[in-house]
Amino acid sequence: MVVSLIPLFLFMYWSFVGGGSTSYKVLALNEDRGECALLGSQRSCASEVIGALDSITYRTKDRLLHVREVTSRQAGEAILRENRAAAMVVFPEGFSQAASSGLQPATVTIVGDPNNPYYTVAAVTINATLDEFAWKAVGLERPVVAEERMLGGSGGRTEFETYTPGLLVAAVTLILFSVAISISREVEYGTIRRLVMTGASSTSFLGGITGVYTLVGLITVLLAYGVATALGFRSLGPIWVGILVSVLTSVASIGLGLVTACFSRTVARAAVIANFPLLLVLFFSNAMFPLPGARLFAVGQRVIHLQDVLPQTHAVVALNKVFSLGLGLREVTFEMAALVVLAFAYFMAGTWLFRRMHMRAN
Amino acid sequence: MRGDEGVHSPMLSLGGLNKRYGALKAVDDLSLGIREGEILGLLGPNGAGKTTTILMVCGLLKPDSGTITLRGKPVDARDRRTLARIGYCPQSIVLWPKLTCLEQLEFIGRMYGVQPVIARRRCGELLETVGLVEKRDRLAATLSGGMQRRLNLIMGLVHDPELLLLDEPEAGLDPQSRILVRDYIRGWARERGRTVVLTTHNMDEADRMSNRVAIIDHGKLLLVDTPEALKREMGEGDVLEIDLLAATGATVEAGLAAVRGLVPQAALVGHTIVARAPNLISLLPRLTGNVLQAGLKVGEVRLRENSLEDVFISLTGRRLRE
Repeated sequence: MVVSLIPLFLFMYWSFVGGGSTSYKVLALNEDRGECALLGSQRSCASEVIGALDSITYRTKDRLLHVREVTSRQAGEAILRENRAAAMVVFPEGFSQAASSGLQPATVTIVGDPNNPYYTVAAVTINATLDEFAWKAVGLERPVVAEERMLGGSGGRTEFETYTPGLLVAAVTLILFSVAISISREVEYGTIRRLVMTGASSTSFLGGITGVYTLVGLITVLLAYGVATALGFRSLGPIWVGILVSVLTSVASIGLGLVTACFSRTVARAAVIANFPLLLVLFFSNAMFPLPGARLFAVGQRVIHLQDVLPQTHAVVALNKVFSLGLGLREVTFEMAALVVLAFAYFMAGTWLFRRMHMRAN
Repeated sequence: MRGDEGVHSPMLSLGGLNKRYGALKAVDDLSLGIREGEILGLLGPNGAGKTTTILMVCGLLKPDSGTITLRGKPVDARDRRTLARIGYCPQSIVLWPKLTCLEQLEFIGRMYGVQPVIARRRCGELLETVGLVEKRDRLAATLSGGMQRRLNLIMGLVHDPELLLLDEPEAGLDPQSRILVRDYIRGWARERGRTVVLTTHNMDEADRMSNRVAIIDHGKLLLVDTPEALKREMGEGDVLEIDLLAATGATVEAGLAAVRGLVPQAALVGHTIVARAPNLISLLPRLTGNVLQAGLKVGEVRLRENSLEDVFISLTGRRLRE
């Protein structure tokens, strides 16, 4: 089940987003009447801008914006409130006239919820398109031209490719549940006592569990990458480095599972307690969304933040470097080293705690 | 405490053991020597401290004070060589439900460091002995309760321990399995010269299985001796119990006096007159007749052999089940 969960999850996500680049839904309320004399068009200036917005594409020819016209501001706002669109652009009745006369600025309203993560991109794109229209309308060359350059090959990433590394990190983290439950089962069933009676040490017992789940993690990661690749995921850097990072992340997650198991005497309790490290990892490791770092200290040029104690923080950075920016092993050395150190630290902490709490005569 | 003075150079020696759980003193200054090759029964009611004692001997529980030595060496829970000499069968069923019978036995054998070839042969023999050889490839979770108990028992024997600790070995067993297990343990100890310590609150189990019985109550060791010697302590022969119905003080005294006229060793326990003497069956008609003549109404009359329960009652004033 652990092995099949992540590929299944990836497939479900791909089914939702498809294989294309991220597309932003924009609503347009066109109250403009008249012709756009500036451009020599029989259509209104608002219609010209809407057409321009709708035709913006990525390099891959995928559309950046999907523009849908609405008939009233109320209808548009209702859609925005339900997060079914990123922004709404409202062209007033006299937009063409104002734009053509040049006597007063033509005002366009952009409506949206800044809490919606898609709003910013949509609003910036609308602004840029309106700006382009204005320069074109007055027939002047831009005095300043900003050129956008994407790091590595990140500009051509599809939405599925963008979110797959984060999903993989989150999904690999789930292995801590399996580890915590499998160890707690030994405690609950009393079989840990049989093992203690044989003289087995906590290191050998937990080492055995870690070995088994490392293998499970490796199979899971390989299967997940296989499925992701089949669904259109491309790595711009060497994929084996990404796989290595993922496997190390799963080992570190096993360490978190060991620590979790130390505080559980039953399977049910382990399943409940494991939610705490899971949420901690998902919310504070940048796997789901970026967080400002809480600075602890600096080592040379590198600042160490509080969330750096979470293995997933380093995994997210490393996978982004490899998959989206096309970097290699040399550029993720720090993250890999951090993952190894943290995996070892969690294993040692788990072993020490487990010996004290479950394997020692009291 | 009487009966333990004669154990010189015991195989297992418990000296002044104490264990407390909060306000409850589970084991109270318990000293006991267990001889090589004997089966010793720890007999006592629930909560007497039997399981706590066993857990301390096998290193799963740390005594508050006192010593435990195996062949003169302190039992160290971290010493694999010492632990390998002890086998333990817990009262509850402790198995890996997703492993087959054979897999569990081989796994625990490997954990004890038994060579695979020897472990495999020994596992086969053990399964054969407890009647599970045909179930060897069945998952433990799919076995019946009685079969699981038998498997639970032999899990402690794969490494051929010198000392076997059994916590209520007959609990939950059907009569057929009980006889099977009882015969097997006695045979195993006798043939291999192994030592067994078992806990029980079942006097019949203690009587039939043990060479010596240690009676424990409230964590204290009350008496240790052979079952026969303990029963002799209470008087040779039979026990007659006459349950009285609707008895008043005066008539009960008269009835008891009438019984004592024939059997001097008689007493009133609750609403029952308990008389002890050899060959009581020959006196039975006269005894019941005397009780009826004293004006008492008689309910049930039971005639049985002297038992360890009688010993326990005489020591504690309570029955084992109370």
